[in-house]
Amino acid sequence: MRKSLSMLAAVALLAAGCGGTASGEPGAGAGAPVTGGSLTWAVETEPVTFNPHLYAQAKARLLVWNSFEALLTHDEQGGYVPWLAKSYEVSADGKAYTFKLRDDVTFHDGEKFDAAAVKANLDQLFVPGYAPGVTSTQLKHYAGAKVVDASTIEVDLKQPDVLILDFFASPQGAQISPKSLKSPDLKAGGPDVVGTGPFILDRYSKGQEVHYKKNPAYKWAPANAGHQGPAYLDEVTYRFLKESSVRVGALTSGQVDVIEGVPATEQGLVKADPSLQFAQHLNSGTAYNYYFNQAKAPFDDINVRKAFRDAVDVDGVLQGVYRGTATRAWSVLSPSGPFYDSSLEKSYGNDPAAANRLLDQAGWAAKDADGFRTKDGKRLTVRIVLSAPFVRDKRDILAQAVQAAVKQSAGIDLQVKVVDQGTATDALNKGEFEVFDNSRADTDAGAALTLIVPKGAPINRHGFTSPELDAQVAAGSATSDVAKRKEIYTGIQKTLTDNATLLPLYAPADQIAAQKTVGGVGFEPTAGVPASAYNVWIGK
Amino acid sequence: MWRPVLRRLGSGVVVLWAAATAAYLALHLAPGDTVDTLVGDGPDTPQIRAQIAADLGLDRPAAVQYVTYLWRLLHGDFGRSYVLQRPVLDIIGSQVWPTVKLTLVACAFSAVIAVVVALVSTGRSRWVRGLVSALELSVVSAPGFLIGILLLSVFSFRLGWFPVSGDRDVSALVLPALSLALPIGGLLSQVLREGLERALDEPFAVTARARGLTRRALLWRHALRHALLPAVTLAGTLIGFLLSAAVVVERVFGRPGLGQVATDAVGTKDIPVVLAVVMLSAAIYVGLSTLADLTYLAVDPRLRKG
Repeated sequence: MRKSLSMLAAVALLAAGCGGTASGEPGAGAGAPVTGGSLTWAVETEPVTFNPHLYAQAKARLLVWNSFEALLTHDEQGGYVPWLAKSYEVSADGKAYTFKLRDDVTFHDGEKFDAAAVKANLDQLFVPGYAPGVTSTQLKHYAGAKVVDASTIEVDLKQPDVLILDFFASPQGAQISPKSLKSPDLKAGGPDVVGTGPFILDRYSKGQEVHYKKNPAYKWAPANAGHQGPAYLDEVTYRFLKESSVRVGALTSGQVDVIEGVPATEQGLVKADPSLQFAQHLNSGTAYNYYFNQAKAPFDDINVRKAFRDAVDVDGVLQGVYRGTATRAWSVLSPSGPFYDSSLEKSYGNDPAAANRLLDQAGWAAKDADGFRTKDGKRLTVRIVLSAPFVRDKRDILAQAVQAAVKQSAGIDLQVKVVDQGTATDALNKGEFEVFDNSRADTDAGAALTLIVPKGAPINRHGFTSPELDAQVAAGSATSDVAKRKEIYTGIQKTLTDNATLLPLYAPADQIAAQKTVGGVGFEPTAGVPASAYNVWIGK
Repeated sequence: MWRPVLRRLGSGVVVLWAAATAAYLALHLAPGDTVDTLVGDGPDTPQIRAQIAADLGLDRPAAVQYVTYLWRLLHGDFGRSYVLQRPVLDIIGSQVWPTVKLTLVACAFSAVIAVVVALVSTGRSRWVRGLVSALELSVVSAPGFLIGILLLSVFSFRLGWFPVSGDRDVSALVLPALSLALPIGGLLSQVLREGLERALDEPFAVTARARGLTRRALLWRHALRHALLPAVTLAGTLIGFLLSAAVVVERVFGRPGLGQVATDAVGTKDIPVVLAVVMLSAAIYVGLSTLADLTYLAVDPRLRKG
């Protein structure tokens, strides 16, 4: 008995170490929920807009759900929980979705939330020039909406698309008051553009902070929100502190209550402080992957792709760069999602002998004076182009670590170029790269795959296409059966792995650190980003 | 009397136009474009890009965009920010005061630092001067980022004397202003000390001492005035440094301000905002130097001829 208990403990520790879910027990020291008080939260990213329809920064998601809400929300298993909609029905042909709406919801400006409001939001999205990013992807199969009665709306599609539910649970599908839709500041958002959420955005000082106050009338939280009724906090202030060391210093000196974004270098300090709590959660979507450009040499040869993949000791590289705080990825998808194929784990990789054998077979047998492999007098050189403004999580350092690994174990010359955004876009458009790096934070992994896998998809930079894959991706978004989708996406992940289309590196994650007196901080189900302040309280 | 004044104002307008044009050209020649930024982490297809470009008028020839821009500028219309979706004048208006406040306090701090350090260290023993010079050199050459973080960790995180961030009360202004003022104060005190020592070697200093003036009175009443002239001239040219250093300070201290707005706008190719910031700083330069030139004219009759 004793033995099995300690075994269990060891397994639990291992699971926590892997960081598959939230590690630590957020809010354990804060006691029972307390109503009242004001909280200060230092965040890394200042949103460019507070209008949820135009949301485009994953790091700004934690602000959206304070003041706005959607018809549905995600649960942990890839399904949906009713929110502003009480329920929904899908027609037999999968082309009509009927939503029954709550009839007790009002916007912050007193407007009533009803089917006409939902219709007004959908119509606004299709105003030319307003939200082209939403209408051409998330709503690309949208045909129209009908107000059946005050609390019923029917959404029609041109073809079956289960990802429409993901839209109605996404920030872009959040509901803005019809009165606010006419505001001159609609695109920028702010105090004049209101929703139905548990907090009201009442003050925004650009470059400094955004302030929310409690919505006392709030009583329509989704079932998985942690509690019902108004939020615990009276006020919450999000302060924009872009420097991670400044955020951590502000937290350790007690000047802020909560921070998000704690890089590996600062995590030791935070975890060692007995008055602080720390939690980390993997994001949804894809892992951070290196895609090989197989449209041209040398990665048009599968042996070279496999050799590159085998040449990198990913665990060692991650340990060196992230000091054991990163979770290794094995598939195109992030391990946090329901469609992840865990059977791919440890099925390949870290095999320098195989890498060298494959390269010899592929004709890259000779070596030059610098130790790099050559073929017909040409060095085995591949390029990766990183856009400096989008480098996060020290991905530039990671690239250098991979560079050293492939040089040492297989004689591959990986050239790392960190450039400005314009130069990076230029290089991608001209095909002047052999390795393309990317991670996506879509809540439904299927949405990410539709952008990465099919022929001609916007970020299909690897150049691997097949009619079967295209059909699989289409089938995956046409069915709402989670088991069936899992089967389809497992097939896609296996095909991409067998073809050595990519080298998965790590699963992006978000971190929260807070004073022990703060309770209820946690992560949004499925998305894996910090949740809104609805469930947060300050204990005694 | 009026002709030089008019000439000065006229050349000021030309400088403003040149600044607007140079900034415009630089932004267009730099690789990359606004559309990339607007697409951001979001979905990305050629249709989306085309629609964004058409929406902002970026699909027109650059020359047409430039002429339209100048024409609007003449009417005081700075346009709307591509990225922030608000009128540029609103954005600049809300961010000017925090930066001005920061710069003014930093100027005052650096003046005090420079004068006190120079007066205390002038004519002292070799090792005192060596120590002071070493300190001056380190604050002048240390990156502003480092100075800011150091000040924060000692006076905010450890001692808790000053708040970490924001534009609140006077106490929130001390550390950011100090991180701006230290390098400038260090530079000015070096110049000032050299001036003081030169003034003390002048014959008038010997005469004054011979008439019984104390060393301190000589330093304060006579030598300082002589030494101030080059330092003031140098201080005038440091305004540009202040603006660029403010970028770093605002970032570290999480303060609102023009520096943040300008760097974000350059990074995202938010052309209307960049141009407005350039025009504003050019206008400040032109204004200050015109004022200085006109003051010279009033003060020194020899300059009024010609």
